[in-house]
Amino acid sequence: MKPEAAHALERLMQALLTEIAPAVQPAYLRASVSIQAMLLLTIREEFERAAARRVEENRALRALFADAAQTVTEGALRDRLASAAASNDASLLVSELEAGNRALRALLIDLHAHVESLVSAEARRIEAAIWRELSASTERRKLSLGPF
Amino acid sequence: MSNLERRLAAYLTPLLGAARGVEVSGLERIHGGASRETSRFVLRYEQDGRRFERRLILRRDPPGSLIETDRRVEFAAYRAFHGSAVPVPEALWLEEDPAPLDFPFFIMEELTGLESSIPALLSPPYLQHRAKIGLRKWTILGEIAKADPERLGLMKLLAAPAPSECWQRELAHWEGVLDEDELEPQPVTRAVIRWLRRHPPPPAQKLSVVHADYRTGNFLFDAEGEIRAILDWEMAHLGDPLEDLAWGLGAVWQWSRDGLAGSLLPKAEAIRTWEQASGLCAELGALLWWELLSCVKGQGIWVSGGREFQDGVNHDPVLCMSSWMMGNSQDRAALALLGQLP
Repeated sequence: MKPEAAHALERLMQALLTEIAPAVQPAYLRASVSIQAMLLLTIREEFERAAARRVEENRALRALFADAAQTVTEGALRDRLASAAASNDASLLVSELEAGNRALRALLIDLHAHVESLVSAEARRIEAAIWRELSASTERRKLSLGPF
Repeated sequence: MSNLERRLAAYLTPLLGAARGVEVSGLERIHGGASRETSRFVLRYEQDGRRFERRLILRRDPPGSLIETDRRVEFAAYRAFHGSAVPVPEALWLEEDPAPLDFPFFIMEELTGLESSIPALLSPPYLQHRAKIGLRKWTILGEIAKADPERLGLMKLLAAPAPSECWQRELAHWEGVLDEDELEPQPVTRAVIRWLRRHPPPPAQKLSVVHADYRTGNFLFDAEGEIRAILDWEMAHLGDPLEDLAWGLGAVWQWSRDGLAGSLLPKAEAIRTWEQASGLCAELGALLWWELLSCVKGQGIWVSGGREFQDGVNHDPVLCMSSWMMGNSQDRAALALLGQLP
């Protein structure tokens, strides 16, 4: 058996916070070490879910785009939505999942702005789905140290 | 004396007139204020046969920071409010030439024996005084809103937008910061920006001095629950006084996680206190607009700090931490204000 990355990060955080920081002078550097300990705690939290949250979100965005492509009337945007909906994550490397996520989230901004300009009930349905996805996206990114 | 202490003493000697034996010691960087390097030091000198000792603060521009600001504005704001109903430390010297200490800086008095941190606020003996601190916090903000920028001498230094243009100026500024610095798409903040443009607020009731970072953590309080100094005026400008009220009410400052605005007071009580002190009205529709603008502004600050860290301009880990932690909380705050958070 070998220690898991999450355990190692947690141990590093504890050491920085309880053993190293109290021995550091001046106070400014001590506070900086404490912040680095909190940063490690955050990395530990993110390490565990990094691939999962991106895969989940990319899937949710593609489903949203597939649905919206039926409603959007503007040709170029509809084509981009259809293309994004048909794409998939070719790799589970976090850097590649993140690149895909950024492209999808940029398209989400364009879609959101477009449906806001439409007056149909169908546009309102898509808009509501976008807001639900935006809310879910903040749940996926929530950090235990975050204030809200 | 260290090299920097020697240079500081050399800079201060001619400013102290007939003083002799000018010494600087104990120069130590302190935490807080991510937009300036802040250090404390002790100044000693002899004059007219007497020894003098002053504890002072050096605020020096770092190469990169959370907020790109103007040190002259911050210095002028401290000077303008010193001795008024708005407690501030005395600002003493401003130096915009980088030659003496490598970067522009200013020096002000240090107020000792006081606290500003959130963990301290949420612990004894300060915890029991949260309501009192809250009442003082929003009363002092009301005094800032009520103050006449002309009489304070700030109209010469700060741009004065028309009351109907305050909102456009702030929105354009922070949208520009996002355009320039964001490292990834910001769909929540972009949606908020569109909402703000579709629902413009009424003109400002008056043109006020806006502190622009008036939140728990940016003032000094004592163990009796009295606020002794309002700090961090680096983003001060003239604008709609609701901007300050909205910023301080933000959900991202509720570190106590008990729903209290700024971890101090119920939101309605904070607003009422501000209205009484300022003589102004916080109409809820207009306040909502400025609360949402605060979310854009907050995201602008977190994003630009993250950019500084990513680009290696500033390695302070607080920039990275803020970008990760506060950015998402800021989005959640915006969604809650728009009724889009379950």
